Amino acid sequence: MNLHIFEGFGGTMMEVVSALIPLLVLFIICQFFLLKLPLNKVKNILVGFLLAFLGLSFFLQGVHIGFMPIGELMGEILGQRSLWLLIIIGFILGFFAIFAEPAVSVLLHQVDEASGGYIPQKVLLYTLSIGVGLAIALSMVRIILGISLWYFILPGYIIALVMVKYTSKTFTAIAFDSGGVATGPMTATFILAMFVGIASVTEGRDPLLDGFGMVALVALAPILSVLTLGVLYSRKEKAQDDKEANSTEINRDNCEERKSQKSNSSI
Amino acid sequence: MENIKETIIEVIKSILPIAIVITILQFTIIWLPLETFMQFLIGVLFVGVGLILFLLGVNVGLLPVGEMIGSALPKTKKLWLIILFGFLLGLVVTIAEPDVRVLSSQVEQVSDGAIPQSVLILSVALGVAIFVAIAMIRIVFNISIVYILAVGYGLIFLLAAFTPPAYVPISFDSGGVTTGPLTVPFIMALGVGVASVIRGKTASRDGFGLIALASIGPILSVLLLGVIYG
Repeated sequence: MNLHIFEGFGGTMMEVVSALIPLLVLFIICQFFLLKLPLNKVKNILVGFLLAFLGLSFFLQGVHIGFMPIGELMGEILGQRSLWLLIIIGFILGFFAIFAEPAVSVLLHQVDEASGGYIPQKVLLYTLSIGVGLAIALSMVRIILGISLWYFILPGYIIALVMVKYTSKTFTAIAFDSGGVATGPMTATFILAMFVGIASVTEGRDPLLDGFGMVALVALAPILSVLTLGVLYSRKEKAQDDKEANSTEINRDNCEERKSQKSNSSI
Repeated sequence: MENIKETIIEVIKSILPIAIVITILQFTIIWLPLETFMQFLIGVLFVGVGLILFLLGVNVGLLPVGEMIGSALPKTKKLWLIILFGFLLGLVVTIAEPDVRVLSSQVEQVSDGAIPQSVLILSVALGVAIFVAIAMIRIVFNISIVYILAVGYGLIFLLAAFTPPAYVPISFDSGGVTTGPLTVPFIMALGVGVASVIRGKTASRDGFGLIALASIGPILSVLLLGVIYG
């Protein structure tokens, strides 16, 4: 077998050195003027830098020798197959990409807390998975038909900004922060390379213009998902406020109900 | 040790599902030569091991730096220092961000070197840096995030009218990849540190919204790069 595993590893390591040096320099400056940490803590931090250096080198090497060339190759093969298949594959990839993303569990927790347990974690998880699945499927449609990214991004953000008016500030902040949770290490590397491959074999498509833009749509999906749930939640809260004004009796029931909901969801 | 185990599980969980879907595709429709597919599997292994080591390094060394600077800064009571360090941290962290490197090398390759990797990384990093600085100002003066988001996206749509079309998808993708495994925890730690010192525990929510701002910055700066460069 003819595998190129460590091809260009030296270059990759040099790249990583130049990536980490600015951070290291800033730390050293802060150490002298601001932090003044004891020596054993500094040692820990330097070990951290060393680990990050090794990790980043392996990560980028894996991307260069494995993900980028093979993602593109797979994209080129898929691009010559049935175009409907691409849309379905796109949906499946998106659905599973988000399902396991570690950052998502942090988001689930935040939303759970902000809504006092009203929005069950499972509901948000499935909303996100379907949202990201649709985002990648739509990106496939975009490549196949050669539609400009604008027709997706512009309505997407306008809808998001309109929805902001009907949600609480907390939900808004969480929603816009969550844009990044879906763009994990697999999306930004492998699926990206695949799209470039598909765009390069689809007739009349420019890989530069049509191959990119997928990450943008994937980042939009969680924003819209969380905002939608935020609108639903604030409507429920409003309805509750109205009831509370009518009768304190019902209010007490509601509180108990909310409490039991909360304990249910935490189980 | 608990930390190590958690990180390993986290990384495996984030890589495995897609790797399985790709493997299924390989043996149903794609049928790449086995040798090439092996290369993919080795890539998966490298990416996995690399991410585990990297995240451990981030947790042991890089993140504590962010937290300590975040809580030491406001105690100096100098506004310009808080803003300056917000800017510098945003800059250096983005330069080290793995996802940004992957996107930019992909862009350099596809554009045949017309958009060099180093130029793209630097403009993304500057975008993040400026918006982290703005986020610091927002926390100090308690400005509503909605205004900044509205102005930010308004500017994006305005700038996009003047930039070559090829830069639009790249700019939005840059906004997406900046929120990677290094930037998010680092900037969150900084923001929460600053917010908790300035406003006490009650307002730790101010830390939220930071990532949103950090991902607007690169969109704007890459669009601007297109206006100048294209």
